[in-house]
Amino acid sequence: MSDPGPVTLTIDGKEVTVRAGTLIIRAAEELGIEIPRFCDHPLLDPVAACRQCYVKVEGQRKLMTSCSTPVADGMVVFTQFTDEEVKKAQTSVLEFLLINHPLDCPVCDRGGECPLQDQALAFGPGESRYVEAKRTYRKPLPLSPLVALDRERCVLCARCTRFCDQISGDRFIELFDRGAAEQVSIAPGEDFRSPFSGNTIQICPVGALTARTYRFAARPFDLVTADSICPHCACGCNLRVDLRRGEVVRHLARDNVEVNDAWLCDKGRFAFSFSDRPDRLTTPLLRERGLEPVSFAEALSAIAGWCRGKPVGVLAGGRLSDEDAYALSKLARTTFKTNDVDHRLGSSDVSAVEAETGMAAANPVTYRDVERARLILVVGLDAENELPILHLRIRKASRRGAKVFVIHPRRTRLWDVAEHRSCLPGEEAATATSLRAELAGAGAEAVVLAGPRLLQSPGAAQAMATLAAETGARFVLLCRRAGDRGALRAGLHPALLPGGRRVEEDDERAAVEVGWGTLLPHEPGRDAARILEAAAHREIEVLFLVGVDPLRDFPDATLARRALENAPFKVVVDASAEAMSSYADAMLPAAPYLEKDGHYTDWEGRAQRLRAVRPPKGLARSEWEIFQELSETAGADMGFRSLDDLHEEMANLYQSAALGVRGGPAERRGSGDQPTQPSGAGGTRHPEKPPAGSELILFSYPLLIDEGRLSDGADLLRDALEERPFVEIHPADAERLGVADGRPVRLQTAAGRAELPARVTDGIAEGAVFVPWNQPGFAANTLLSGSAITAASVEPSAAEASAG
Amino acid sequence: MAEFQPVLTARWGDPEAATLHGYERTGGYQALRKALSMDPAAVIEEVKSSGLRGRGGAGFPTGTKWSFIPQDTGKPVYVVVNFDESEPGTFNNRELIERDPHQLVEGAIICAYAVRCRTAFVYCRGEFVWPGTVLERAIAEAYEAGYLGKDILGSGFDLDVILHRGAGAYICGEETALLESLEGFRGQPRLRPPFPAVEGLYRSPTVINNVETLSCVPHIIDRGARWFASIGAGKSTGPGIFSVSGKVNRPGNYEAPMGTTARELIEGHAGGVRDGKRVKAWTPGGSSTPLLTAEHLDVQMGFDEVQAAGSLLGTKAMIVLDERDCVVDAVLRFTQFYAHESCGKCTPCREGTWWMTRVLRRVEQGRGRMEDIDLMQTVGQNMLFKSFCALADGAVSPIDSSIKYFRDEYEEHVRLGRCPLREESPRLEAASARSGGTTGALAQVLPEGIEVELGEVLG
Amino acid sequence: MSEAERFSVPRWQSGQPAELRVLDVDVEGPVLSDEARRVAERIASKYPTRRSAMIPLLYLVQAEVGWVPRRGMREVADVLGLTTAEVEAVATFYTMLKLHPCGRYIVSICTNPSCALLGARRLYERARELLGESAERVSEDGLFTLEEEECLAACDQAPVVAVNFLFYDRVSEEQLESMIEEIRQGRPPAASRGGIPGELKDISRVLAGLGTDRAAEVEDG
Ligand SMILES: Cc1cc2nc3c(=O)[nH]c(=O)nc-3n(C[C@H](O)[C@H](O)[C@H](O)COP(=O)(O)O)c2cc1C
Ligand code: SF4
Ligand code: FES
Repeated sequence: MSDPGPVTLTIDGKEVTVRAGTLIIRAAEELGIEIPRFCDHPLLDPVAACRQCYVKVEGQRKLMTSCSTPVADGMVVFTQFTDEEVKKAQTSVLEFLLINHPLDCPVCDRGGECPLQDQALAFGPGESRYVEAKRTYRKPLPLSPLVALDRERCVLCARCTRFCDQISGDRFIELFDRGAAEQVSIAPGEDFRSPFSGNTIQICPVGALTARTYRFAARPFDLVTADSICPHCACGCNLRVDLRRGEVVRHLARDNVEVNDAWLCDKGRFAFSFSDRPDRLTTPLLRERGLEPVSFAEALSAIAGWCRGKPVGVLAGGRLSDEDAYALSKLARTTFKTNDVDHRLGSSDVSAVEAETGMAAANPVTYRDVERARLILVVGLDAENELPILHLRIRKASRRGAKVFVIHPRRTRLWDVAEHRSCLPGEEAATATSLRAELAGAGAEAVVLAGPRLLQSPGAAQAMATLAAETGARFVLLCRRAGDRGALRAGLHPALLPGGRRVEEDDERAAVEVGWGTLLPHEPGRDAARILEAAAHREIEVLFLVGVDPLRDFPDATLARRALENAPFKVVVDASAEAMSSYADAMLPAAPYLEKDGHYTDWEGRAQRLRAVRPPKGLARSEWEIFQELSETAGADMGFRSLDDLHEEMANLYQSAALGVRGGPAERRGSGDQPTQPSGAGGTRHPEKPPAGSELILFSYPLLIDEGRLSDGADLLRDALEERPFVEIHPADAERLGVADGRPVRLQTAAGRAELPARVTDGIAEGAVFVPWNQPGFAANTLLSGSAITAASVEPSAAEASAG
Repeated sequence: MAEFQPVLTARWGDPEAATLHGYERTGGYQALRKALSMDPAAVIEEVKSSGLRGRGGAGFPTGTKWSFIPQDTGKPVYVVVNFDESEPGTFNNRELIERDPHQLVEGAIICAYAVRCRTAFVYCRGEFVWPGTVLERAIAEAYEAGYLGKDILGSGFDLDVILHRGAGAYICGEETALLESLEGFRGQPRLRPPFPAVEGLYRSPTVINNVETLSCVPHIIDRGARWFASIGAGKSTGPGIFSVSGKVNRPGNYEAPMGTTARELIEGHAGGVRDGKRVKAWTPGGSSTPLLTAEHLDVQMGFDEVQAAGSLLGTKAMIVLDERDCVVDAVLRFTQFYAHESCGKCTPCREGTWWMTRVLRRVEQGRGRMEDIDLMQTVGQNMLFKSFCALADGAVSPIDSSIKYFRDEYEEHVRLGRCPLREESPRLEAASARSGGTTGALAQVLPEGIEVELGEVLG
Repeated sequence: MSEAERFSVPRWQSGQPAELRVLDVDVEGPVLSDEARRVAERIASKYPTRRSAMIPLLYLVQAEVGWVPRRGMREVADVLGLTTAEVEAVATFYTMLKLHPCGRYIVSICTNPSCALLGARRLYERARELLGESAERVSEDGLFTLEEEECLAACDQAPVVAVNFLFYDRVSEEQLESMIEEIRQGRPPAASRGGIPGELKDISRVLAGLGTDRAAEVEDG
């Protein structure tokens, strides 16, 4: 799009120059002139429904709504500050809004932070001229387990319904009826079941939509408020955390147009109580007879003792801060002299290193790039479930005219804005080659978003990177969890050192050795699967589990259990006491996101500042402090005493220099071996013997709301959005196998079997079956043997079969 | 001036006029043949120079509207016939269709040809079950005769017409609300710009015209712009159909040159006020136009002339009240209409019409306060030109104008504590007491303080 | 408020708060027959966008059930690929879509001033007496729903009464009485234009755009 150029106008006698097409209300903001508004929202199309934002424009007969009138060169505008008629119009609209508004500010959740209240106080009439009965409704009306509606307070600005229409596309709330009876409503029997529902609460300008997690929980004046970053996924959403007496009472979105715009997903918004749960680990524990509280010094010296001269393996979760990940990487390499370190429990593609190296060293795609793209290829990603805010950005891009393609074995929630190409799990990259011409046509205006599914098939990620390179498209290999990108950059990876330096390459390794002042092992280490295997065979004697639970996270529950049973020593570093307590030999209390300073690096590679919003509970502390102390105890002092020390080291080591500064494009792209073509359901380490009669390909990934530990305590969130386990199957397969929608089926793989209700849908590729990763009473990894893709057979459950 | 010969209603006496055969027999579809032989731009030019202005209420020059349609967008162009006629007191579109539907069909085809449209819609008011059926039949006949469909009369021009029925909402007569409704949404007006000519139906360039407007078109093509422009007064050219109703001896649609005086229409064509009474108040263009009084009867019924008299020509619908009729009561009923028909989108209209209904009801019932009269005036001022579309302006018209001309009648209601003119009728009294003000279900238009029952208190 | 009480609130569609509908009755089972679904498909494909078929399809539901239950909205949503909320938002906007069980004949009396000045309110009151108060929702015999109507654009024929939207001109109280009596006896009189009104289901078919066959019929009769 060509830039229409700047326009100069005068507002209240002050000149301002803005982009053509800017709305008067925004231009006024530039001058610090606040025009009152209710329906206007910068991220929604204007409706000009509330009529509060009137201004006078010279030469116009009527007053104009500033939220819907674009500026023009030489325009002369008067606001309520300089024009009596404007002021009177605004006052009278306010009067109209108040005639039917209840006077319940003292008990309203919004009391104290409500524009209507503020404006009524500022220039509302002292006494109402309205003497008739007010419009009353039954209230509050539950729209979902999370959201309640008070229709008497509603000013019918349609922000909430426009959000659902324009942003999330989940049109479950609408304006019903008309005239004075117009009201926001749902269709009874059809809940407001959107993973973005909470945004409507935040943008409701009054207290009409309220969070059922927050109703009457606090008043604005007894809240302590702090900025933070969402710990749940790699979207990097900017949070405002509100605490009351030290406990989190809500998460709100902070506006950041570069990242989350003004939005959060409901998980980010409502899953906040995990750090206040009774199972918080607040003191080190050591296994004597049982797990018993000890001092840090005691625990650390015991651990150092176990590790002395023994093979150590390190598994990390995806939610460490950048600093914690770096410290852990350095601990493993310098103190334990091992490259047996990994954070990628779900991945089974050894050959992805190439692509991963690029991601560790560069930031090739940003939200802004996605928003501005002309063509977006989403491959191997269920964006709504895996990166919800990126999902909203893709939708936004599509509204701006981008062509969106999705290649995925399941139809995703982009179905209404994208052209969907279905394929079998594992064939994503091969399917993508059919879009070569389209990609080449859009060149650098094309963005390829490669999702986690690609890492299940050898060569797929690299094949996509190559296709992008050849067509000139921008490419990013996405990660899912808040700490993933930071962990990759830190080198929580058997073959990569900080900054994406390869262990095997002498000169690259040497750069790190110089920085760290010590020699490092020069063979790539074991990846997560092989670490677990080695632990199961006692080849690894001390297993570090840092914010990770292989029983839940690793795609082979049996192997994970054997590893935990057999490894002689298990050291758990976690915020939760429950997590691994039955296996742990030592547990060290880590501070969650609320209680530490640091950074999270989102999928773009953008490092964002994380601040402690309260002191750690008990003896908990940042992981990096724990690791530093452990290295000291083990006699191999890593040498950082403060975050500043850490940052200096990290900045020196990360190619991209200082944190948060963009790097250039990946340098090594295209070098090395030609990637192998992705194959069907391959990529598993132990080629399994598929059970007789299996002809389906089973795959699995986590849904947004599941049994994940960070959603513990968010009961209303789970009530609202968590699905019961199911197995999705194509109608053609269902018919052939005698499977009926909603009826139980038996699912069999080489690793195990499960009985789940069938969901027959043409939204899944024929020949594929899907199970969610971790829903109540079901864990998909019991069916897997190392890869989240495997062969499976499906039949009606025995009871069904005999009944039928 | 030669005596005026009816144009639009010329066939009304002919029982066969509604059929294709009857229409063709009296020269029907000749204008279409002529138009098809012209360049589309020339058709637009002809309509432009005829001075035809829209009959749907706003009086926008029709040819100019057509000339706004861009032809280079790569999108289809649509023509939409506004047959939603719902303005109180207005009933000429209905009769035009019932008696001479092909005239509209022919006008619509010519319009579509002029703006290069291939799919046209008729948005037919839902309540018009029968008129809609008459029009459906006419359209079917036109298809059969080759006036619609592919390659019309061998000209290479294709056109389909879809008749779409509304479902009961006055606001759907407003052109952008109509488009929303036609696209399957709630009939709430759209933000303008973009105007329908640029982004209308399905975001494509769209012409929307009233039935009477398009019914003029065949005559303009047939007899020429100059002939058309020679009829009428000032900037209101051509013939027009005036709907006269209320307390006149012969309510009905009367065709006369634009600019004919109200007196001629009310006292001449409509036979004057019943029982020899005097005109008290009348609307020049439906309930949305400010009331005028007996003093204004010599006003010429042209766009500018009526405006100069302090009202609007609107839909040329004259509702006549005589000296026995209570103005407050009539205004209350009009106001209820607007409260009921307000779409709810914008604050001043939604809340203002609701508020006004309540105050008026009190006043009409004799429970008013003197200050209520000023209150209504100021609330009216707060609504006027502040709403999203013109519906609220229409709602203010009867209130504002009646207070201007009949303030004493309002005061009388307050002073006496009852309506000075209400006819004594035990039945109506009982109804009034039951529902407050007017009778019947309409009193329930808006829930007056539905009992609040605090629902489950959510934790 | 008990559910029964909610029902007793006289209903004017756009004025009815949603909870009255929330607790409203619904119907069981599929509303649209296979045949109706085929018709729905045909209607939807007539328009440049399927969604334009919204009102016709809601009329189609009304033609099948005699009113528009939520179940029907759900099926319309299904045909058009929308949420039920999107359909209900539209259905609640328009007064001719009946959201509760109503009489087989809708008697609408215009009480807008053009008609009111000529006696429409008395007429309405008379109708209310004849049909019973409950007719403002549905009469006890299930035959009538009485509605006060906005201007029907037939002011020249005031006062106007419509039965299932076919108009009767200049109706006197006596005429009204006999009209009602004849409908009760199963012989509705012919309207001033358009012939004998069918039941609401039949008229809803016409409104759905399936009326051309009926047009022919009326012409003959
Ligand atoms: C509240 C409202 C209701 C309207 N109703 C109608 C109507 O029923 N029929 C009509 O032709 N125009 C109606 N209009 C005017 C239309 O918006 C539009 O101006 C007209 O259809 C244009 O056609 P014309 O240029 O041929 O007059 C209405 C306008 C408003 C504001
Ligand atoms: S609930 Fe809130 S956001 Fe939605 S329309 Fe009402 S005031 Fe606006
Ligand atoms: S903010 Fe402009 S009309 Fe609501």
